[in-house]
Amino acid sequence: MDLIPVANAEAVVAGARAGDPAALEALYRAFEAPVYNLARRICRTAEDAEDVLQETFFEVCRSIGHFRQEGSLWGWIRTIAASKALMRLRRNRYRDTDELAEDAPAPGLRRDETALRMDLEAALERLPEVSRAVVWLHDVEGYTHEEIALMMGRTTSFSKSQLARAHTRLRRWLGEEVAR
Amino acid sequence: MTAHLTLEQLLALREPGAEPGAAAAREHLDACPGCQAELDAVHQRVARLRALPALRPARDAWPAVTARIRRERRGRRVRLLGAAGLALAASLALVVTIRHDVAHPASLSATEQAIDTQKQHSAALEATIRQYDPDARPLDGRTARIAEELEDRIAGLDRELEAAELLQAQTDREARRLQLWRERVGLLDALVDVHVTRASNVGL
Repeated sequence: MDLIPVANAEAVVAGARAGDPAALEALYRAFEAPVYNLARRICRTAEDAEDVLQETFFEVCRSIGHFRQEGSLWGWIRTIAASKALMRLRRNRYRDTDELAEDAPAPGLRRDETALRMDLEAALERLPEVSRAVVWLHDVEGYTHEEIALMMGRTTSFSKSQLARAHTRLRRWLGEEVAR
Repeated sequence: MTAHLTLEQLLALREPGAEPGAAAAREHLDACPGCQAELDAVHQRVARLRALPALRPARDAWPAVTARIRRERRGRRVRLLGAAGLALAASLALVVTIRHDVAHPASLSATEQAIDTQKQHSAALEATIRQYDPDARPLDGRTARIAEELEDRIAGLDRELEAAELLQAQTDREARRLQLWRERVGLLDALVDVHVTRASNVGL
């Protein structure tokens, strides 16, 4: 079942399959916000996320005939969006995942200040693109490591290690380290 | 297991299914308040990530999506018309040339040479546009509309070129063809500008 409901979903999908512009626009209006949010969380800039939004719905309009209605419509659209966003990262030659030293504070801040001043939004934004994509796809969107590995063209071990790195950094930047 | 669990091990405990070493890790977790606190922190962090406010686009992308769909359809039509028109033009030109050669052997008028030059420009510009692969790139709404208009006008010119081939008087026919080919080159040049300028702006 879709987490994002579309009123009269079956009729909308049937209309979209038939190329009805009103039905295609109804799909866009229903899923515009979650697609953009996913793209924006993965991409570096708002402009890239807007391009991904456009590319996603261009693909949805072209391929709606291939959508099998027994599956989740949002799941289908979300996978297109995630693939487009990851493709955008690859095309932009994303930063090397190790470019940011784990211990490096933000410019102008001492290490202790970093934790005090950085909120979750800023910390997420600061993660290297690949780590951010993995943590978002896994922890928020609910993709498995196998699915992420498939979309990224990498191994499940890669996905797992990127997730661990992301959490290590977030933990430090947010000042959430637990004394053990 | 006495050493604390690594973050990777703690994250793995959230996964469905038993991973190698999961039983020992679970056993340690049950007895270790520190690792339990660390796992709680992971759960809380994930809950906060999920609770982040949804980000919304600053612009409505739907007009650009529909413009891109129309552009793709028109582009396909322009290519088809262009290919069919040029094929027809080529066959008619062959007939005309044979007729012309019978009347004026081994001579190529200045107008025909000028038409050939325009055809070469046209082919080069089309190759440039193909190289940028505009169908695979998003355009903003305004740029998409300009590209659409140019593509429509090129398609119209191709139809006029087909009609020009059928003109009876050779002088009129050549003059008209030259004029149309020049216009075609001008429009293609503008279309290249639309795509190339845009591509340069975004660093593609």
